[in-house]
Amino acid sequence: MGGESRYEIHQSAYIKLVLHALKHRTSAVNAVLLGRSAAAGVEIVDSVPLFHSQIGLLPPLEIALIMIEEYYGEKGLSIVGYFHANERYDDFELGGVAKNIGDHITRYFPQAALLLLDNKKLESLQKGKDRSPVVQLYNKDASSSWKLVGSDASSQLALKEPSANVVLLDYISSEKWKDIEDFDDHLDDISKDWLNSKLFN
Amino acid sequence: MVSKTEEDQLIRLENQVENGGGGAWEYLCLVRKLKLRLSDKVFKYGFALLSDPKKRSALGPEEWTLYEQVAIAAMDCQHLDVAKEYIKVLQGKFRESKRVGRLEAILLEAKGRWAEAEKAYSSLLEDNQFDQVIHKRRVAMAKAQGNLSGAIEWLNKYLEIFMADHDAWRELAEIYVSLQMYKQAAFCYEELLLSHPTIPLYHLSYADVLYTLGGVENLHAAKKYYAATIDLTGGKNNRALFGICLCASALAQLTRGRNKDDKENSELQSLSAEALEKAYKQQSPTNVSVLSSALRSLKVSS
Repeated sequence: MGGESRYEIHQSAYIKLVLHALKHRTSAVNAVLLGRSAAAGVEIVDSVPLFHSQIGLLPPLEIALIMIEEYYGEKGLSIVGYFHANERYDDFELGGVAKNIGDHITRYFPQAALLLLDNKKLESLQKGKDRSPVVQLYNKDASSSWKLVGSDASSQLALKEPSANVVLLDYISSEKWKDIEDFDDHLDDISKDWLNSKLFN
Repeated sequence: MVSKTEEDQLIRLENQVENGGGGAWEYLCLVRKLKLRLSDKVFKYGFALLSDPKKRSALGPEEWTLYEQVAIAAMDCQHLDVAKEYIKVLQGKFRESKRVGRLEAILLEAKGRWAEAEKAYSSLLEDNQFDQVIHKRRVAMAKAQGNLSGAIEWLNKYLEIFMADHDAWRELAEIYVSLQMYKQAAFCYEELLLSHPTIPLYHLSYADVLYTLGGVENLHAAKKYYAATIDLTGGKNNRALFGICLCASALAQLTRGRNKDDKENSELQSLSAEALEKAYKQQSPTNVSVLSSALRSLKVSS
Protein backbone atom coordinates (compact mmCIF):
# COMPACT_ATOMS: atom_id res chain seq x y z
CA MET A 1 0.00 0.00 0.00
CA GLY A 2 1.72 3.14 1.16
CA GLY A 3 5.26 1.91 1.53
CA GLU A 4 6.94 2.19 -1.83
CA SER A 5 5.69 5.42 -3.36
CA ARG A 6 7.70 8.20 -4.82
CA TYR A 7 6.34 11.72 -4.65
CA GLU A 8 7.19 14.74 -6.72
CA ILE A 9 5.99 18.16 -5.64
CA HIS A 10 5.65 21.16 -7.92
CA GLN A 11 7.38 24.37 -6.89
CA SER A 12 4.24 26.47 -6.48
CA ALA A 13 2.57 23.83 -4.30
CA TYR A 14 5.68 23.53 -2.13
CA ILE A 15 6.29 27.24 -1.71
CA LYS A 16 2.68 27.93 -0.71
CA LEU A 17 3.02 25.46 2.16
CA VAL A 18 6.11 27.11 3.61
CA LEU A 19 4.93 30.69 3.08
CA HIS A 20 1.67 29.86 4.86
CA ALA A 21 3.59 28.49 7.84
CA LEU A 22 5.75 31.62 7.90
CA LYS A 23 2.75 33.91 7.83
CA HIS A 24 1.40 32.32 11.00
CA ARG A 25 4.53 31.67 12.99
CA THR A 26 2.86 31.53 16.37
CA SER A 27 0.33 28.84 15.52
CA ALA A 28 0.03 25.46 13.92
CA VAL A 29 -1.07 25.50 10.28
CA ASN A 30 -2.18 22.90 7.79
CA ALA A 31 -2.88 22.41 4.11
CA VAL A 32 -4.04 19.79 1.64
CA LEU A 33 -2.04 18.53 -1.29
CA LEU A 34 -3.66 18.11 -4.69
CA GLY A 35 -2.37 15.92 -7.45
CA ARG A 36 -2.65 12.65 -9.32
CA SER A 37 -1.12 9.22 -9.62
CA ALA A 38 1.56 9.08 -12.28
CA ALA A 39 3.69 6.31 -13.73
CA ALA A 40 6.59 7.08 -11.41
CA GLY A 41 4.49 7.58 -8.29
CA VAL A 42 2.41 10.53 -7.12
CA GLU A 43 2.60 14.00 -8.59
CA ILE A 44 1.71 16.79 -6.16
CA VAL A 45 0.61 19.58 -8.43
CA ASP A 46 -0.94 22.11 -6.11
CA SER A 47 -1.70 22.82 -2.47
CA VAL A 48 -4.39 24.73 -0.59
CA PRO A 49 -3.44 26.28 2.76
CA LEU A 50 -6.30 25.56 5.13
CA PHE A 51 -6.23 26.91 8.69
CA HIS A 52 -4.15 28.69 11.28
CA SER A 53 -6.51 28.46 14.24
CA GLN A 54 -8.50 25.73 16.01
CA ILE A 55 -7.26 23.13 13.58
CA GLY A 56 -8.94 20.31 15.51
CA LEU A 57 -12.48 21.42 14.70
CA LEU A 58 -14.46 19.53 12.07
CA PRO A 59 -16.91 21.98 10.47
CA PRO A 60 -14.41 24.31 8.76
CA LEU A 61 -12.37 21.29 7.64
CA GLU A 62 -15.39 19.53 6.14
CA ILE A 63 -16.45 22.61 4.22
CA ALA A 64 -12.94 23.18 2.93
CA LEU A 65 -12.58 19.58 1.77
CA ILE A 66 -15.94 19.61 -0.02
CA MET A 67 -15.19 22.84 -1.85
CA ILE A 68 -11.65 21.80 -2.69
CA GLU A 69 -12.79 18.46 -4.08
CA GLU A 70 -15.48 20.18 -6.17
CA TYR A 71 -13.02 22.66 -7.63
CA TYR A 72 -10.11 20.34 -8.32
CA GLY A 73 -12.27 17.38 -9.35
CA GLU A 74 -13.13 19.26 -12.52
CA LYS A 75 -9.43 19.63 -13.26
CA GLY A 76 -8.80 15.92 -12.86
CA LEU A 77 -6.93 16.37 -9.58
CA SER A 78 -7.72 14.87 -6.22
CA ILE A 79 -6.52 15.21 -2.63
CA VAL A 80 -3.31 13.20 -2.42
CA GLY A 81 -1.88 14.33 0.87
CA TYR A 82 -1.81 16.61 3.88
CA PHE A 83 0.67 19.12 5.26
CA HIS A 84 1.01 20.12 8.90
CA ALA A 85 3.28 22.57 10.70
CA ASN A 86 3.40 22.34 14.49
CA GLU A 87 3.05 25.37 16.73
CA ARG A 88 6.45 25.00 18.35
CA TYR A 89 9.82 25.20 16.64
CA ASP A 90 11.23 22.04 18.19
CA ASP A 91 8.10 19.90 18.02
CA PHE A 92 8.68 17.02 15.61
CA GLU A 93 5.78 14.93 16.78
CA LEU A 94 2.95 14.00 14.48
CA GLY A 95 -0.07 14.98 16.57
CA GLY A 96 -3.48 13.36 16.82
CA VAL A 97 -5.24 15.89 14.62
CA ALA A 98 -2.70 15.50 11.80
CA LYS A 99 -2.94 11.72 11.98
CA ASN A 100 -6.75 11.77 11.94
CA ILE A 101 -6.89 14.02 8.91
CA GLY A 102 -4.21 11.90 7.25
CA ASP A 103 -6.26 8.77 7.97
CA HIS A 104 -9.32 10.31 6.40
CA ILE A 105 -7.43 11.25 3.24
CA THR A 106 -5.84 7.81 3.02
CA ARG A 107 -9.28 6.24 2.90
CA TYR A 108 -9.81 7.85 -0.48
CA PHE A 109 -6.19 7.84 -1.67
CA PRO A 110 -4.22 5.01 -0.09
CA GLN A 111 -0.76 6.33 -1.01
CA ALA A 112 -1.45 9.69 0.63
CA ALA A 113 1.59 11.61 1.78
CA LEU A 114 1.66 13.32 5.15
CA LEU A 115 4.18 16.15 5.30
CA LEU A 116 5.41 17.75 8.51
CA LEU A 117 7.32 21.03 8.36
CA ASP A 118 10.93 20.63 9.45
CA ASN A 119 11.71 23.94 11.17
CA LYS A 120 15.36 23.19 11.67
CA LYS A 121 15.80 22.46 7.96
CA LEU A 122 13.91 25.62 7.09
CA GLU A 123 16.16 27.67 9.34
CA SER A 124 19.36 26.28 7.86
CA LEU A 125 18.12 26.81 4.32
CA GLN A 126 19.81 30.20 4.28
CA LYS A 127 23.19 28.69 4.97
CA GLY A 128 23.30 25.66 2.72
CA LYS A 129 22.51 24.70 -0.82
CA ASP A 130 20.06 22.01 0.20
CA ARG A 131 17.88 20.98 -2.68
CA SER A 132 15.57 18.74 -0.69
CA PRO A 133 12.23 19.96 0.61
CA VAL A 134 12.10 21.33 4.17
CA VAL A 135 9.54 18.78 5.27
CA GLN A 136 9.44 15.31 6.75
CA LEU A 137 7.49 12.69 4.83
CA TYR A 138 5.20 10.20 6.53
CA ASN A 139 3.50 7.21 4.96
CA LYS A 140 1.06 4.68 6.29
CA ASP A 141 2.78 1.35 6.65
CA ALA A 142 1.38 -2.17 6.52
CA SER A 143 0.24 -1.98 10.14
CA SER A 144 -1.73 1.20 9.36
CA SER A 145 0.36 3.52 11.48
CA TRP A 146 2.10 6.64 10.25
CA LYS A 147 5.78 6.13 9.79
CA LEU A 148 8.51 8.66 9.13
CA VAL A 149 10.24 7.99 5.84
CA GLY A 150 14.02 8.30 5.99
CA SER A 151 15.92 9.74 3.06
CA ASP A 152 17.35 6.35 2.15
CA ALA A 153 13.99 4.63 1.95
CA SER A 154 12.43 3.87 -1.38
CA SER A 155 9.66 6.35 -0.61
CA GLN A 156 10.91 9.77 -1.37
CA LEU A 157 9.69 13.29 -1.82
CA ALA A 158 11.48 15.28 -4.46
CA LEU A 159 11.10 18.83 -5.63
CA LYS A 160 10.12 18.89 -9.28
CA GLU A 161 12.11 22.04 -9.99
CA PRO A 162 15.61 21.72 -8.50
CA SER A 163 15.86 25.44 -7.81
CA ALA A 164 12.65 25.55 -5.77
CA ASN A 165 14.50 26.32 -2.52
CA VAL A 166 16.30 29.22 -4.16
CA VAL A 167 12.99 30.67 -5.28
CA LEU A 168 11.59 30.04 -1.80
CA LEU A 169 14.43 31.94 -0.14
CA ASP A 170 13.83 34.80 -2.51
CA TYR A 171 10.16 34.96 -1.55
CA ILE A 172 11.04 34.76 2.12
CA SER A 173 13.34 37.75 1.91
CA SER A 174 10.69 39.76 0.08
CA GLU A 175 8.14 38.78 2.79
CA LYS A 176 5.86 37.25 0.19
CA TRP A 177 4.02 35.33 2.90
CA LYS A 178 1.97 38.43 3.58
CA ASP A 179 0.02 37.78 0.39
CA ILE A 180 -0.95 34.19 1.15
CA GLU A 181 -4.62 33.58 1.93
CA ASP A 182 -5.93 30.41 3.50
CA PHE A 183 -9.35 28.89 4.03
CA ASP A 184 -9.60 30.46 7.49
CA ASP A 185 -9.19 33.87 5.86
CA HIS A 186 -11.79 32.95 3.26
CA LEU A 187 -14.36 31.86 5.85
CA ASP A 188 -13.84 35.14 7.71
CA ASP A 189 -14.10 37.17 4.49
CA ILE A 190 -15.27 35.31 1.41
CA SER A 191 -13.70 37.84 -0.90
CA LYS A 192 -10.31 36.37 0.06
CA ASP A 193 -9.04 33.95 -2.56
CA TRP A 194 -8.20 30.57 -1.03
CA LEU A 195 -6.86 29.48 -4.39
CA ASN A 196 -4.16 32.15 -4.23
CA SER A 197 -4.50 32.40 -8.00
CA LYS A 198 -2.69 35.74 -8.20
CA LEU A 199 0.11 34.87 -5.80
CA PHE A 200 2.85 34.02 -8.27
CA ASN A 201 1.97 36.38 -11.10
CA MET B 1 -11.06 40.23 19.33
CA VAL B 2 -10.52 43.13 17.01
CA SER B 3 -13.30 44.99 15.24
CA LYS B 4 -13.20 45.71 11.51
CA THR B 5 -12.72 49.46 12.08
CA GLU B 6 -9.85 48.80 14.45
CA GLU B 7 -8.27 46.41 11.96
CA ASP B 8 -8.59 48.97 9.16
CA GLN B 9 -7.09 51.65 11.39
CA LEU B 10 -4.15 49.38 12.14
CA ILE B 11 -3.51 48.66 8.47
CA ARG B 12 -3.83 52.34 7.59
CA LEU B 13 -1.28 53.36 10.24
CA GLU B 14 1.06 50.56 9.19
CA ASN B 15 1.02 51.73 5.58
CA GLN B 16 1.53 55.29 6.71
CA VAL B 17 4.62 54.42 8.71
CA GLU B 18 6.05 52.16 5.99
CA ASN B 19 5.76 55.02 3.52
CA GLY B 20 7.56 57.47 5.78
CA GLY B 21 4.47 59.41 6.80
CA GLY B 22 4.96 59.05 10.56
CA GLY B 23 2.30 57.68 12.90
CA ALA B 24 4.52 55.11 14.57
CA TRP B 25 3.54 56.26 18.07
CA GLU B 26 -0.20 56.01 17.26
CA TYR B 27 0.36 52.54 15.83
CA LEU B 28 2.24 51.37 18.91
CA CYS B 29 -0.45 52.79 21.22
CA LEU B 30 -3.18 51.04 19.26
CA VAL B 31 -1.34 47.71 19.38
CA ARG B 32 -0.88 48.13 23.12
CA LYS B 33 -4.55 49.01 23.62
CA LEU B 34 -5.79 46.03 21.58
CA LYS B 35 -3.19 43.70 23.16
CA LEU B 36 -2.14 42.36 19.78
CA ARG B 37 0.93 40.30 19.10
CA LEU B 38 2.62 42.08 16.21
CA SER B 39 6.12 41.85 17.53
CA ASP B 40 8.11 42.32 14.34
CA LYS B 41 6.33 45.60 13.53
CA VAL B 42 6.40 46.80 17.15
CA PHE B 43 10.09 46.08 17.33
CA LYS B 44 10.86 47.77 14.02
CA TYR B 45 8.93 50.96 14.72
CA GLY B 46 9.64 51.12 18.44
CA PHE B 47 13.37 50.55 18.04
CA ALA B 48 13.52 53.34 15.45
CA LEU B 49 11.64 55.71 17.78
CA LEU B 50 13.74 54.92 20.83
CA SER B 51 17.01 55.16 18.92
CA ASP B 52 16.24 58.74 17.93
CA PRO B 53 17.00 61.03 20.92
CA LYS B 54 14.74 63.84 19.70
CA LYS B 55 11.74 61.57 19.15
CA ARG B 56 12.42 59.85 22.45
CA SER B 57 12.39 63.01 24.51
CA ALA B 58 9.21 64.12 22.73
CA LEU B 59 7.46 61.14 24.33
CA GLY B 60 7.90 62.47 27.84
CA PRO B 61 6.92 60.02 30.60
CA GLU B 62 5.41 57.64 28.02
CA GLU B 63 8.99 56.79 27.06
CA TRP B 64 9.15 54.14 29.79
CA THR B 65 5.94 52.39 28.64
CA LEU B 66 7.45 52.23 25.19
CA TYR B 67 10.68 50.73 26.50
CA GLU B 68 8.65 48.00 28.14
CA GLN B 69 6.53 47.36 25.05
CA VAL B 70 9.51 47.18 22.70
CA ALA B 71 11.54 45.05 25.14
CA ILE B 72 8.79 42.43 25.09
CA ALA B 73 8.51 42.63 21.29
CA ALA B 74 12.29 42.30 21.04
CA MET B 75 12.18 39.14 23.14
CA ASP B 76 9.43 37.72 20.95
CA CYS B 77 11.65 38.26 17.91
CA GLN B 78 14.73 36.93 19.70
CA HIS B 79 16.54 40.31 19.61
CA LEU B 80 17.74 39.56 23.11
CA ASP B 81 20.55 42.13 23.19
CA VAL B 82 18.16 44.98 22.55
CA ALA B 83 15.75 43.58 25.13
CA LYS B 84 18.54 43.37 27.70
CA GLU B 85 19.57 46.95 26.96
CA TYR B 86 16.06 48.30 27.37
CA ILE B 87 15.50 46.38 30.58
CA LYS B 88 18.70 47.89 31.94
CA VAL B 89 17.40 51.39 31.09
CA LEU B 90 14.18 50.63 32.97
CA GLN B 91 16.12 49.21 35.90
CA GLY B 92 18.08 52.45 36.08
CA LYS B 93 14.93 54.50 36.22
CA PHE B 94 12.77 52.23 38.42
CA ARG B 95 15.02 50.58 40.95
CA GLU B 96 13.55 47.63 42.88
CA SER B 97 10.53 47.62 40.63
CA LYS B 98 8.50 44.39 40.48
CA ARG B 99 7.32 45.30 37.00
CA VAL B 100 10.92 45.43 35.79
CA GLY B 101 11.63 42.24 37.73
CA ARG B 102 8.91 40.62 35.67
CA LEU B 103 10.65 41.70 32.47
CA GLU B 104 13.90 40.19 33.69
CA ALA B 105 12.12 36.91 34.28
CA ILE B 106 10.56 37.03 30.81
CA LEU B 107 14.06 37.55 29.40
CA LEU B 108 15.17 34.35 31.14
CA GLU B 109 12.22 32.66 29.48
CA ALA B 110 13.23 34.01 26.09
CA LYS B 111 16.69 32.55 26.61
CA GLY B 112 15.15 29.17 27.39
CA ARG B 113 16.41 29.20 30.97
CA TRP B 114 13.20 27.71 32.28
CA ALA B 115 14.24 26.73 35.79
CA GLU B 116 15.66 30.20 36.54
CA ALA B 117 12.59 31.88 35.09
CA GLU B 118 10.34 29.67 37.23
CA LYS B 119 12.33 30.61 40.33
CA ALA B 120 12.07 34.31 39.48
CA TYR B 121 8.31 34.05 38.97
CA SER B 122 7.81 32.14 42.23
CA SER B 123 9.66 34.76 44.19
CA LEU B 124 7.76 37.59 42.51
CA LEU B 125 4.51 35.83 43.34
CA GLU B 126 5.46 35.65 47.02
CA ASP B 127 5.13 39.43 47.16
CA ASN B 128 2.00 39.59 45.06
CA GLN B 129 0.14 36.33 44.62
CA PHE B 130 -2.50 38.00 42.48
CA ASP B 131 -0.25 39.12 39.66
CA GLN B 132 -2.17 37.87 36.65
CA VAL B 133 0.65 38.44 34.18
CA ILE B 134 3.00 36.16 36.10
CA HIS B 135 0.42 33.42 36.47
CA LYS B 136 -0.07 33.53 32.72
CA ARG B 137 3.67 33.47 32.06
CA ARG B 138 3.77 30.15 33.89
CA VAL B 139 1.16 28.75 31.53
CA ALA B 140 3.09 30.13 28.56
CA MET B 141 6.32 28.54 29.82
CA ALA B 142 4.68 25.15 30.17
CA LYS B 143 3.27 25.48 26.68
CA ALA B 144 6.63 26.57 25.24
CA GLN B 145 8.29 23.48 26.67
CA GLY B 146 5.66 21.28 25.11
CA ASN B 147 4.17 20.43 28.49
CA LEU B 148 0.53 20.86 27.51
CA SER B 149 -0.87 18.95 30.48
CA GLY B 150 1.15 21.25 32.73
CA ALA B 151 -0.19 24.27 30.88
CA ILE B 152 -3.73 22.96 31.35
CA GLU B 153 -3.13 22.44 35.07
CA TRP B 154 -1.72 25.94 35.58
CA LEU B 155 -4.48 27.48 33.50
CA ASN B 156 -7.18 25.68 35.47
CA LYS B 157 -5.61 26.87 38.73
CA TYR B 158 -5.49 30.41 37.32
CA LEU B 159 -9.15 30.28 36.33
CA GLU B 160 -10.19 29.15 39.82
CA ILE B 161 -8.96 32.53 41.03
CA PHE B 162 -9.60 34.69 37.99
CA MET B 163 -12.73 33.10 36.59
CA ALA B 164 -13.77 36.25 34.76
CA ASP B 165 -10.75 36.21 32.46
CA HIS B 166 -12.42 35.27 29.20
CA ASP B 167 -9.19 35.28 27.22
CA ALA B 168 -7.89 32.59 29.55
CA TRP B 169 -11.03 30.48 29.05
CA ARG B 170 -10.54 30.79 25.30
CA GLU B 171 -6.88 29.84 25.55
CA LEU B 172 -7.82 26.77 27.60
CA ALA B 173 -10.50 25.82 25.08
CA GLU B 174 -8.02 26.11 22.24
CA ILE B 175 -5.47 23.93 24.01
CA TYR B 176 -8.18 21.30 24.61
CA VAL B 177 -9.19 21.42 20.93
CA SER B 178 -5.59 20.94 19.82
CA LEU B 179 -5.46 17.83 22.00
CA GLN B 180 -8.86 16.68 20.70
CA MET B 181 -10.35 16.93 24.23
CA TYR B 182 -13.62 18.28 22.89
CA LYS B 183 -15.81 17.70 25.96
CA GLN B 184 -13.47 19.80 28.04
CA ALA B 185 -13.35 22.48 25.33
CA ALA B 186 -17.15 22.52 25.34
CA PHE B 187 -17.12 23.16 29.09
CA CYS B 188 -14.92 26.24 28.57
CA TYR B 189 -17.28 27.66 25.97
CA GLU B 190 -20.22 26.96 28.26
CA GLU B 191 -18.53 29.09 30.92
CA LEU B 192 -17.95 31.84 28.37
CA LEU B 193 -21.54 31.71 27.16
CA LEU B 194 -22.83 32.00 30.72
CA SER B 195 -20.92 35.20 31.33
CA HIS B 196 -21.06 36.63 27.80
CA PRO B 197 -24.26 35.38 26.15
CA THR B 198 -24.26 37.99 23.40
CA ILE B 199 -20.85 37.40 21.87
CA PRO B 200 -21.37 35.56 18.56
CA LEU B 201 -17.84 34.13 18.54
CA TYR B 202 -18.57 32.01 21.60
CA HIS B 203 -21.82 30.64 20.16
CA LEU B 204 -19.96 29.80 16.95
CA SER B 205 -17.01 28.11 18.64
CA TYR B 206 -19.34 26.14 20.91
CA ALA B 207 -21.35 25.00 17.90
CA ASP B 208 -18.15 23.92 16.12
CA VAL B 209 -17.08 21.86 19.14
CA LEU B 210 -20.52 20.26 19.49
CA TYR B 211 -20.51 19.31 15.81
CA THR B 212 -17.05 17.83 16.21
CA LEU B 213 -18.24 15.76 19.17
CA GLY B 214 -21.04 14.43 16.97
CA GLY B 215 -24.13 12.42 17.72
CA VAL B 216 -27.74 13.44 17.23
CA GLU B 217 -28.13 15.45 20.43
CA ASN B 218 -24.94 17.42 19.92
CA LEU B 219 -25.84 18.12 16.29
CA HIS B 220 -29.24 19.47 17.31
CA ALA B 221 -27.58 21.66 19.90
CA ALA B 222 -24.92 22.80 17.41
CA LYS B 223 -27.68 23.84 15.03
CA LYS B 224 -29.22 26.00 17.76
CA TYR B 225 -25.93 27.74 18.45
CA TYR B 226 -25.20 28.31 14.76
CA ALA B 227 -28.69 29.81 14.54
CA ALA B 228 -27.92 32.03 17.52
CA THR B 229 -24.73 33.19 15.80
CA ILE B 230 -26.67 34.03 12.66
CA ASP B 231 -29.17 35.93 14.78
CA LEU B 232 -26.48 37.90 16.61
CA THR B 233 -24.62 38.79 13.43
CA GLY B 234 -27.59 39.71 11.27
CA GLY B 235 -27.03 36.72 9.00
CA LYS B 236 -23.58 37.84 7.99
CA ASN B 237 -21.52 35.06 9.53
CA ASN B 238 -20.70 32.62 6.75
CA ARG B 239 -19.18 30.05 9.10
CA ALA B 240 -22.51 29.78 10.92
CA LEU B 241 -24.46 29.52 7.67
CA PHE B 242 -22.17 26.68 6.55
CA GLY B 243 -22.58 25.16 10.00
CA ILE B 244 -26.34 24.93 9.57
CA CYS B 245 -25.91 23.17 6.23
CA LEU B 246 -23.43 20.71 7.72
CA CYS B 247 -25.67 19.97 10.72
CA ALA B 248 -28.74 19.44 8.54
CA SER B 249 -26.80 17.08 6.31
CA ALA B 250 -25.30 15.10 9.19
CA LEU B 251 -28.63 14.89 11.04
CA ALA B 252 -30.42 13.68 7.93
CA GLN B 253 -27.85 10.91 7.61
CA LEU B 254 -28.12 9.89 11.24
CA THR B 255 -31.91 10.03 11.58
CA ARG B 256 -32.84 8.36 8.35
CA GLY B 257 -36.24 6.74 8.95
CA ARG B 258 -37.29 9.08 11.76
CA ASN B 259 -38.85 11.87 9.78
CA LYS B 260 -40.13 14.18 12.53
CA ASP B 261 -37.71 17.05 12.11
CA ASP B 262 -37.18 16.80 8.39
CA LYS B 263 -39.36 19.73 7.37
CA GLU B 264 -37.85 22.18 9.81
CA ASN B 265 -34.41 20.80 9.10
CA SER B 266 -34.56 21.26 5.37
CA GLU B 267 -36.20 24.68 5.62
CA LEU B 268 -33.40 26.01 7.77
CA GLN B 269 -30.84 24.42 5.49
CA SER B 270 -32.45 25.99 2.39
CA LEU B 271 -32.50 29.42 3.96
CA SER B 272 -28.85 29.16 4.95
CA ALA B 273 -27.87 27.86 1.53
CA GLU B 274 -29.73 30.74 -0.09
CA ALA B 275 -28.01 33.27 2.15
CA LEU B 276 -24.62 31.78 1.30
CA GLU B 277 -25.29 31.85 -2.42
CA LYS B 278 -26.37 35.46 -2.20
CA ALA B 279 -23.25 36.41 -0.26
CA TYR B 280 -20.96 34.60 -2.67
CA LYS B 281 -22.61 36.21 -5.72
CA GLN B 282 -21.81 39.59 -4.23
CA GLN B 283 -18.39 39.07 -2.73
CA SER B 284 -16.85 35.98 -4.27
CA PRO B 285 -18.34 35.46 -7.75
CA THR B 286 -15.56 33.17 -8.94
CA ASN B 287 -16.53 30.67 -6.25
CA VAL B 288 -20.27 30.61 -6.93
CA SER B 289 -20.34 27.39 -8.96
CA VAL B 290 -18.02 25.58 -6.54
CA LEU B 291 -20.27 26.70 -3.69
CA SER B 292 -23.43 25.53 -5.44
CA SER B 293 -21.97 22.09 -6.12
CA ALA B 294 -20.77 21.88 -2.53
CA LEU B 295 -24.19 22.81 -1.13
CA ARG B 296 -25.85 20.34 -3.49
CA SER B 297 -23.62 17.52 -2.28
CA LEU B 298 -24.62 18.36 1.30
CA LYS B 299 -28.30 18.07 0.41
CA VAL B 300 -27.86 14.72 -1.37
CA SER B 301 -27.62 12.88 1.92
CA SER B 302 -31.12 13.92 3.02
